[in-house]
Amino acid sequence: MRGPALGIALGALFALLPALGAPAPVPAPGPQDAVDAYGELRDPALERRYEHIVAQLRCLVCQNESIADSNVELASDLRRQVREMLIAGRSDEDIFKFMTDRYGEFVRFSPPLEPKTLLIWGAPFVMLLLGALIILRVVRQRAQQPLDDTPAAGASDSS
Amino acid sequence: MWKFILPIVAFIALAVLFAFGLNPNRDIHAIPSPLIGKPAPLFKLTDVSDPSRIVSNADLKGQVYVLNVWGTWCVACRQEQQDLLTIAQQHVVPIIGLDYMDERSKAQQWLQQLGNPYNAVAFDTDGRTAIDWGVYGAPETFLVDGAGRVIYKFISPMTQQVWAREFLPRIEAARKGGA
Repeated sequence: MRGPALGIALGALFALLPALGAPAPVPAPGPQDAVDAYGELRDPALERRYEHIVAQLRCLVCQNESIADSNVELASDLRRQVREMLIAGRSDEDIFKFMTDRYGEFVRFSPPLEPKTLLIWGAPFVMLLLGALIILRVVRQRAQQPLDDTPAAGASDSS
Repeated sequence: MWKFILPIVAFIALAVLFAFGLNPNRDIHAIPSPLIGKPAPLFKLTDVSDPSRIVSNADLKGQVYVLNVWGTWCVACRQEQQDLLTIAQQHVVPIIGLDYMDERSKAQQWLQQLGNPYNAVAFDTDGRTAIDWGVYGAPETFLVDGAGRVIYKFISPMTQQVWAREFLPRIEAARKGGA
């Protein structure tokens, strides 16, 4: 077996099974396969949270993939971690904190809104505003220019 | 007036951005560890060569030590091995190995063939210790001070240059601070 924590998590998983009326036996993990081999979590609400969390965590090895998408061993270890923490009744915030405490904010695809991430979250809006101002200026300048381009003869679309 | 200033300002801003962003010495894949300055996560694992022996960093309390994360699957670890051996011969600090995502027999063979620079090698069976340390690859080398705080993390193969430049001054400072 692979350590007491997994044993406890497995125990919890088994304990949940009768309560949820799930008859299917859970295959025992081999030495290589991660907890993914267990399939979906029995509780659909837990499974939804699981899917949400693993899609929000960056795989540090591939860096542009989430741990939900990645096949590397670290991603599978981290998925196991998320799953165990969910089964242990930890909140989403707990799990994200566990990850950022170890891997830093970079592990989250969407960093939380806080003073030091203000620039990341604010930049798109600042850019939008800047673009709008530039367009406004250009439009105003053009509006003040005399209409020297007389419409071609026969052109009917005039304003 | 603005027509002259704006392009110049934009040019300077871009130049600064590129000077930082395109710096060839900057490893874009290296992620700064949030562990720096924090207590080193404790581990209690079995020795890679002797499963009945326990390797724990709790025993190293009060000492400055190095934790080197490696695995036999890791090509760059093979590359740093010779340098680690040379560094180990200086006996500056204990070097603890953390064998990660590995098989015991392969690791034992590796240590026999390439030499063993480690005072002890902990065998991380299921990757949990590596997760606690925020390890996302190998080799990674941590420096822990006498108070048990992580003071530095180096991601990449260790070399004697890196050892002299990054580790030795920090070890000395940590010892002075702890005295």
